[in-house]
Amino acid sequence: MGVASAGYSRPRSNRITVIRKRGFFVETGVVNYARLADEELMQAVQRGDAMAFETIYDRHGGAAFSLAYRIVGTRSAAEDATQDAFLAIWRSRVRYQRERGSVRNWILGIVHNRTIDALRRNQVHATRRADAEGIEEREAAPELTDVEAFRREEQRHVRAAIETLPESQVRVIELAYFGGFTHSQIAEMLGEPVGTVKGRMRLGLDKLRRELAGAMA
Amino acid sequence: MTAHSEYAENVGAYALGALPELEAQVFERHLMACEECQHELHRLNEAVEALPRSVTPHAPPPSLKASLMEVVNAEAAPATRRRRFALPQLRPAMAWAAAACAIALGVGYGLSELGQGDGSDARTLSAQVDDQRLPGANASLSISDDGSVLSVEGMPDAGRGRVYEVWVERDGDVEPASIFDVDDRGSGAAAVPGSLDDVDAVMVTREQRGGADQPTEMPVLRIDV
Repeated sequence: MGVASAGYSRPRSNRITVIRKRGFFVETGVVNYARLADEELMQAVQRGDAMAFETIYDRHGGAAFSLAYRIVGTRSAAEDATQDAFLAIWRSRVRYQRERGSVRNWILGIVHNRTIDALRRNQVHATRRADAEGIEEREAAPELTDVEAFRREEQRHVRAAIETLPESQVRVIELAYFGGFTHSQIAEMLGEPVGTVKGRMRLGLDKLRRELAGAMA
Repeated sequence: MTAHSEYAENVGAYALGALPELEAQVFERHLMACEECQHELHRLNEAVEALPRSVTPHAPPPSLKASLMEVVNAEAAPATRRRRFALPQLRPAMAWAAAACAIALGVGYGLSELGQGDGSDARTLSAQVDDQRLPGANASLSISDDGSVLSVEGMPDAGRGRVYEVWVERDGDVEPASIFDVDDRGSGAAAVPGSLDDVDAVMVTREQRGGADQPTEMPVLRIDV
């Protein structure tokens, strides 16, 4: 993720300047956090820099909240899940390893895991199990800001790729990823053999990957 | 059907987090030795990582950031104060050097101070390790004015969905300090923020990913400070 990541609200600076020297930060003067790439910010975050963490939140908090909202279905539950996930990110910041992937994917992976865990712990899951419509996409919140325009374009791109998949594959992927259901639960809900469900998951993901790669080429 | 093809059927479900716990553990054991499944999982993860980008954007309320940063700023405060005087320069090489000197003492308490090396106030303490739960593991705590680093070697994976969590004990009260994971060789390191002047011990437990507010098991290792 480069410096130009969308989603942060205002430039932020601190009294220290962060420059790169052999992969580590050296204190010299003044820094504008908004000009740092995510991976550089994470180096500061790993040293306990709260302002760098705030910049990370500004860049990815919207995407995290949107993902949580998609999973849990209410704003209050999404707020709880997002705060829980970002606190976990802050407290486990030493675990981030840039060679394992982008900061954004790392953050969204944690948000997804913790939100699904919360969903499975709560009665919300049982309630929604009886209402398959519960995992359908919900209306956007009215207070959507302009800085989310970038996310809108990104959303259109991925959705266009998803729409090329057979409905049966989309269904099992969404029930698993956004619904938090296991393959056997999905098989029971759809009245299909478990092997069929697992096959659709694999084929669907493979086709989605190829569609996304083709769109990027 | 071969054993591999049976496992290969599970790659998509595993990538989506749709395997039940037990099946996921079995699959992970196969995955460690199967390059074909590793490659397939890597490919499918590219699609899984795109799924969050398909959701409708929603703006979080400002109050969410405010409450989050209130906690973060409070927890970051000790480290920030320390940096005014000296920047922590906790290079990995320091951590690994400390780990290399560590001695696992087995279950039971005892303290071994391994030396101060460069003549500064830095010192390295070895850990007492529960060798029933962490056979072959060792750990050490490198303490200096700039910050402290816990280094481990030979540690097993904490388990699916779990991480190692570091705790500090003061006058019988236990507080979370940080979270870490280990690599394929069982090596890892974690910062222990804040001064350890009034800390009695640093401990590690295995907790749910993201960490717990209170330990849920007896420590797997302990360092008396």
